[in-house]
Amino acid sequence: MPRVTDEAVIIGLGETPVGKLPGLNSVQIQAMAVHDALRSCGLSIRDVDGLINLDPYSFPNSMFATTLAEYLGLKPSFCTTVDVGGTVTGMTMLQQAIWAINSGHCRTAVCVYGENALTGRSPGAHGYMLKNLLGGEEWEEPFGLQGMVSMYALLAQRYFHDYGADESDLGAIAVSTREHALLNPTAMMKKPMTLEDHRRSRIICSPLRLLDCSLVADGGGALVLTGAANARRLGAPMVRMRSFAMRMTHNTVAQMPDIEDLGMRDAGRDAYEAAGIGPEDLDMAQLHDAFTISVLVTIDALGFCEPGGAGDYIRTGATAPGGKCPVNTHGGLLSQAHIGGMLHLVEAVRQLRGEAGRRQVPDARLALVSGNGGIFSLCGVSILERV
Amino acid sequence: MEDILAILPSPTKETAPFWEGCNRSELLLRACEDCAQVFYYPRLYCPKCGSEKLAWRASAGRGTLYSFTHVGVSFYGPTWESQIPYTLVLVDLDDGPRMLSRLVGPDRDKVKIGDRVRVEFVEFETQKLPYFSIVRE
Repeated sequence: MPRVTDEAVIIGLGETPVGKLPGLNSVQIQAMAVHDALRSCGLSIRDVDGLINLDPYSFPNSMFATTLAEYLGLKPSFCTTVDVGGTVTGMTMLQQAIWAINSGHCRTAVCVYGENALTGRSPGAHGYMLKNLLGGEEWEEPFGLQGMVSMYALLAQRYFHDYGADESDLGAIAVSTREHALLNPTAMMKKPMTLEDHRRSRIICSPLRLLDCSLVADGGGALVLTGAANARRLGAPMVRMRSFAMRMTHNTVAQMPDIEDLGMRDAGRDAYEAAGIGPEDLDMAQLHDAFTISVLVTIDALGFCEPGGAGDYIRTGATAPGGKCPVNTHGGLLSQAHIGGMLHLVEAVRQLRGEAGRRQVPDARLALVSGNGGIFSLCGVSILERV
Repeated sequence: MEDILAILPSPTKETAPFWEGCNRSELLLRACEDCAQVFYYPRLYCPKCGSEKLAWRASAGRGTLYSFTHVGVSFYGPTWESQIPYTLVLVDLDDGPRMLSRLVGPDRDKVKIGDRVRVEFVEFETQKLPYFSIVRE
């Protein structure tokens, strides 16, 4: 696995408000995130010649990078749309930007995702109901499978069986994540959560309850990259993608391998090896948390504990604010907002720049970001580093 | 048998024999004539070796439950409220492949991982669907 070359660096970050943004469409939300990111590093649209984005899931579009480029007034020399799944899309956008900058296809690139998934959905839509999301409708719909939660419920039930885990393990990460969200003024969830609140929330797909599910939301996030020499000239704080690895094993839930063979383990090992570090070196981890079970599986796979040990690991306080390796310091998809995982990357960069306010992890130098598209179909792990 | 609602498949030329098999109460799997891999769902090429020399093979229709979930909310609006809770299952067929299906029949609420199940063809409008029920020895 090649080490990501260290020339291109992340110099700017942007984030729109999250929650309900009525009256804004996905192009406008992405444009707001781009402008916010450019402001953070003292650049303007005149400096941007690379644009990488993802089109909205709730209302799929084609050629969305060109749509956004025209809306912003850009005429980029490198422009593309990336769609490989939750948070891995954001990492792959960064990877594309790094390659494009290092090979001279552009000088300064913006990676952006955002949409009005909450207020822009068709009337009567329940949950994150996405037509053709996993392309397996002929082998799923006739049996009544719809929405992402039922797939993660099948995974959670098996996780319980394999490791003797139970809903208190799911509750532990829900509560830890909420504690972080209470330190983030932009988070949608503003009230403390107890294990009892979790246990009393209604069943969506057993064993997953309402408080095991992430928050469908409007909002967007963006990151700006440029070459290190240009970054130094601008005097911008620099964050480098030190390594990135992905592994695809399947697409639909019926083709999912056993839990210990999911791609997260291999992607994590490759990302650690390429960066020359291990889990004990991390200052924080931003782990894709569309559902609580995702975090348990990821904590196990990334070597924070033995397989099946995630619940006990979380109960040591390691993942909570002030813990050994805080997880999802912005409140994650569970308690801040589900913006496709883009805000996991924005948060990691914000922390590494020392700009995270009340929730700042002291002297943060190394952050891990994990993602999984579909039902752990495509897994990705990246290590970000303060330069 | 409970009152079933289903969204019927739109078969392709490649997959039509599978759904026609269901209407004859046969669960058909694809078997590779080059590497002997048995797979589900049907595809034009063997996912193990890439061969296009494929045959249809009738499954014995028995398997072991890999996982399940009781769906507690309707993702299809109010018309599906009558189905709640229904049960989705992943079944490891004795013939090899794992398939997603729906559990029907008695003791659905007592289902557990490892239960033995067998295929149960349930007719909805024009199509019999390969659902499963628990086998009690």
